[in-house]
Amino acid sequence: MHRVLQQPFKTAVLLLVWGWLLLLVLTPNLLVVGASLMTRDAGSFLALPLNLDSYRRLLDPLYLEVFLHSLYMAGVTTVFCLLIGYPFAWALSRIGKQRQTLLIFLLIVPFWTNSLVRTYALKLLLATNGLINNALMGLGLIDEPLQLLYTEGAVIIGLVYLLLPFMILPLYSVFEDLRRELLMASHDLGAGKLATFMHVIVPLTLPGVLAGVMLVLLPAMGLFFVADILGGSRNLLVGNVIKNQFLDARDWPFGAAASILLTVAMAVLLFAHRLSRRRLGDEEPAT
Amino acid sequence: MRKLALAGLIAVSLTGCSGQEETEVLNLYNWSEYMPQEVLDRFEEETGIQVVYTTYDSNEAMYARLKLLEEGGEYDLAVPSTYYVNKMRKEGLLAEIDHSKLEGFDNLDPELVDQEFDEDNAYSVPYLWGTTGLAYDAADLDGENVTAWADLWNDKYQGKVMLTNDMREVFHIGLRVLGYSGNSTSPEEIEQAYEKLAELMPAVRTFNSDAPRMPYLEGETDIGMIWNGEAVMGKEDMPSLEYVYPEEGTIVWLDSFVIPKNANNADAAHQFISFVMQPEISALISEEIGYATPNLAARELLPEAVAGDRSSYPTAEDLTNAEFQKDVGDDAMQVYTRYWERLKSGR
Amino acid sequence: MKHWLPRAYLTTVYALLYLPILVLVVFSFNSSRTGYRWGGLSLQWYESLFSNHAMVQAMWNSLWLALAAATVSTIIGALTALALHRYRFRGKRVLRGMLFVVMMSPEIVLAISLLALFLLVGLQLGFVSLLLAHVTFCLPFVVITVMARLSGFDESLPEAARDLGASDFTMTRTVLIPVIMPALLAGWLLGFTLSLDDVVVSTFVSGPSYEILPLRIYSMVRVGLKPEVNALGTLLLVFSLTMLILSQWILTRSKR
Repeated sequence: MHRVLQQPFKTAVLLLVWGWLLLLVLTPNLLVVGASLMTRDAGSFLALPLNLDSYRRLLDPLYLEVFLHSLYMAGVTTVFCLLIGYPFAWALSRIGKQRQTLLIFLLIVPFWTNSLVRTYALKLLLATNGLINNALMGLGLIDEPLQLLYTEGAVIIGLVYLLLPFMILPLYSVFEDLRRELLMASHDLGAGKLATFMHVIVPLTLPGVLAGVMLVLLPAMGLFFVADILGGSRNLLVGNVIKNQFLDARDWPFGAAASILLTVAMAVLLFAHRLSRRRLGDEEPAT
Repeated sequence: MRKLALAGLIAVSLTGCSGQEETEVLNLYNWSEYMPQEVLDRFEEETGIQVVYTTYDSNEAMYARLKLLEEGGEYDLAVPSTYYVNKMRKEGLLAEIDHSKLEGFDNLDPELVDQEFDEDNAYSVPYLWGTTGLAYDAADLDGENVTAWADLWNDKYQGKVMLTNDMREVFHIGLRVLGYSGNSTSPEEIEQAYEKLAELMPAVRTFNSDAPRMPYLEGETDIGMIWNGEAVMGKEDMPSLEYVYPEEGTIVWLDSFVIPKNANNADAAHQFISFVMQPEISALISEEIGYATPNLAARELLPEAVAGDRSSYPTAEDLTNAEFQKDVGDDAMQVYTRYWERLKSGR
Repeated sequence: MKHWLPRAYLTTVYALLYLPILVLVVFSFNSSRTGYRWGGLSLQWYESLFSNHAMVQAMWNSLWLALAAATVSTIIGALTALALHRYRFRGKRVLRGMLFVVMMSPEIVLAISLLALFLLVGLQLGFVSLLLAHVTFCLPFVVITVMARLSGFDESLPEAARDLGASDFTMTRTVLIPVIMPALLAGWLLGFTLSLDDVVVSTFVSGPSYEILPLRIYSMVRVGLKPEVNALGTLLLVFSLTMLILSQWILTRSKR
């Protein structure tokens, strides 16, 4: 009591943030776990008895196929983001400080149009009568318009476009920390460029890579509107399955189980991320 | 000073959201592009009630959302198809229509009122009816003779086919091609329809129920399903878009106004239904969006070009083999849903 | 390594990132209805956008929500960052871990869990549910931004303030807040950005009583050619840029 009175400010702040997280993060997630164990009910949404049916259905070849395909598309997206983002973050960290701020800011500006609007803008580019086809035909490179829209490729392009900044930002922050001296030292010790890259740069930037992978791979499975708009409601993502269970088919237990699958995937990635930081002797779990 | 500004910002942002509550509002939940803006504007002008128009692209989505928000009574009016009227009525989700508050109900086609899905129209008032048939782009499919649903399975149309994003309709064509009823509740028949449709899937470019005419206009697809009103609207922009009543029979549906049980503004909902039932307004709607009005008085006001358009108003011959969509019950719906998900995710 | 190579690379990627947005802005002034072709300069889409009052309402709602969510999450986030930075308390690691998990959670997981909560407690889906949800996903980003600033900050200043008899509250107000102001602004901006950009969470937790953009334009965007959407995107961009320039201006003025 005495301590509480002594530090009313601290107590108030801690109560606020703990209250917020317990009420709006922990409780809802427990509810989802609970829902996943219940049974679908046509009238109300959920009913007893408790069982594992929803999890069993996740193993149904149909859904397994959707999940694997979604994982595949998210994986390809992540690889592209990494391939584009890694050199990008490196180049970004090497230019003048003042320009860096401006360039980082330029990464954020597109967000202000809302991702739905940006996805729509991509559609303008990719459509059969769209700008890319028009340009290619105008240049005489193709005679027939290419089928770009409503394909797996269109979905992946959309995902890369929306998620690239989330790969770049954590990578940029590790490159920022990467001390030049370390590279110099490695060079002085006679390591070649490739060796420096493999043995110094890669391990040091690994936490950033993993953070970027986490910020891209998991959301890439959830952005249902990209599959809707650019995939023509084909090439479904896990997000479409979850959304359908909640907003169309009303199978809450199954939707909840599918979302727990994503949470488990996140837990695995978080664990890997921690391990990579541990190995670098960094204790803080924050990016 | 800065803190004051911050506090002010919060205050403004909080009041900013409650400031507009004063005007009376009617929350209309309807299909995408299913009501001309002019009708909403005129209703607002006449009654001072602001219509908030939100949209859905399938009966399932509409039903799920109404169920989700059941307690709040946030929607005053929705427009489900017959089989969902039946389902929602049975589940007690709807408020009874107070016929004493309605004007112009007598104008409606006697063949479309007092049907088995809702006897005496206790819970629903017909809004528009229409058909789902075949569309093709005559500019791209030169001289083709597209006459039947089965023609979609032709190899020539690989990657050019469009289906509506509507579970019941897509299965309807699968079932009809196999000679079954489009309202089948038999799991075996549904499974066979699924297998038939699965063969079609590689040819399917996209599903669209927001505006099924758009993939044709955009040049993405050349053949597939379409709603008749969309075909009429599409033809205005692209004269080569043809509408065909398929041999196996078109899908016939009727969409009706219903008032959700806990609607906050049921009075305004009744007012709106009466407003739409005025012959002049019904005629305007049918003319603008190309579906058939059940309002006989309105049909007399239609110009010959509209009333005589077989796409909007099919002849008896066009409706050979046509089937009306019916409620198949929750068990069959579950079967449909499972195969539907399998179909859409199949590669 | 050639010196120009990194620059050329950066330029290329930025060009690709901005291409769709450029198309959006340019086509918002295109008079042609059929979208893909240039038909001359025109403001008709802005006109038809403004005559659609449901759309204008949704745009304002989105902006208000973003402002409110950014402000609330900045306040809570900054306080949390301060507590994490200055105090020792039980469960500190758990708190950090939880924030980190929220940051990494796929939006859709957050969305359905919040929907389940709001339905359970019977909260009407509208402004309040949206605000709670948006603050929740913005919070960890603000905390991290402010923490980063605090970690590079000289500890002796608050100590000196306290030695001079200032209470925690006074010290926070007079010493800490000015120091972390840039981070607060950055955090606020991040919150504003995330909130305005969000589609997934909003789809689940909004109702007809408070419609925001993603729901209003979802079917429009699925329909295909809606030049009004171009105009809308352009307006959002202009509004946000104006806000930013304004905030920069306030910041540099307050520094003097």
